[in-house]
Amino acid sequence: MNDDQDRSALEHADDRILAGRAADGDAAAFAVLVRRYAPMMRAYARRILPGTAELDDVVQEACIAAWEQLDTIEHPDRVKSWLMRITSRKAIDRIRSIRPCSDIETLEISVSASSDPPRRAEANAGLAALAEALNQLPESQRQCWVLREIGEYSYDEIAEELGLSTATVRGQLARARKHIIVRMEEWR
Amino acid sequence: MNANEHRRLLGFDPEDLDGHTIEELSDYLEAGRVPPDPLIDESASCQIALEALERLGPLTQQLFAADTAAEAGADQGWVQRILSSISFDARAGRRIPIAPAEAGADLGITEGAVRGLIRGAERAAPGALLGKCTLHGDITEPAAPVSVSVEMSAPYGAAVVELGELVRAEIGAYLAAHTTLNIVSVDVVVRDIHRAPAQTENGT
Repeated sequence: MNDDQDRSALEHADDRILAGRAADGDAAAFAVLVRRYAPMMRAYARRILPGTAELDDVVQEACIAAWEQLDTIEHPDRVKSWLMRITSRKAIDRIRSIRPCSDIETLEISVSASSDPPRRAEANAGLAALAEALNQLPESQRQCWVLREIGEYSYDEIAEELGLSTATVRGQLARARKHIIVRMEEWR
Repeated sequence: MNANEHRRLLGFDPEDLDGHTIEELSDYLEAGRVPPDPLIDESASCQIALEALERLGPLTQQLFAADTAAEAGADQGWVQRILSSISFDARAGRRIPIAPAEAGADLGITEGAVRGLIRGAERAAPGALLGKCTLHGDITEPAAPVSVSVEMSAPYGAAVVELGELVRAEIGAYLAAHTTLNIVSVDVVVRDIHRAPAQTENGT
């Protein structure tokens, strides 16, 4: 098999094989994982972070952290959700480093529409309505909601990541959900 | 009409939800509506709110899929920058001594290099891909018994047992040629079957 074929075979390999090889030090397999999941990681980080400027750095940091931790991964076939976890952690670290002194709980800044993905000729109007409702949420509510609904974190995990109490997370999520369904009902 | 008037109109406050809150309804939904709560199940406004919450799940998945699709692919320069910042030392693993041909020489090979060697054995079985590779035993001790296990993905339609045998034999030959490890067994574990790239591209 020549090198081109090798590369092509790797591009089609499943996550478990790639994660196993990357854990063993195969940089080519790791590069395939990075290419495969970078758009997903960017999209996720973009929903968590209020601005776009830091996105590339966050995803890059997440990839480097992934490489460093890959040999500890318990379920290599679930590398996708594992990468999501690392991405949200790096995105949250970034938010903290931007505002080291502020209390994340009291931040109530709405995101501007400019942080949206470079698309927005939404084929589905329902998706556009949901995206808009999300953008209107105060920062902490949006972060809780994104970690819960996209990242599939438990309430306790969100509390730990964001340095909030579980009760606060529950409250933030309830407010976020209410805001979103109200906006969605208006849209319908 | 301001947002509060909207909310009253649409009725998602406890006074509109027969005393229930969105938080309670979310919990109820997440619990799969068990145990059944007749007060919620018989409240028309709660049912409207539950349906609205329920629609959000699939819509969120769609939104995230659309978000991901809208992101540009990772460009080669960016991927290269990541690859140039990662450390390979972390993957070197244990140092494996190589029994010297002449006294006084101190030769060794890293575990990471041996795993790379083992992965190379996939070339013996066209279409097969090797994954995680583990060296069991005290490889830092010359002559200690060592067994190898490696995961393999076989191409769809291939004779899996024969491919496994080819790879096993190749691994044995490589290790004998390049190390002085005392290999007592080589296990190739076929974890799954994949479509060969050419087939995928043809849409078959």
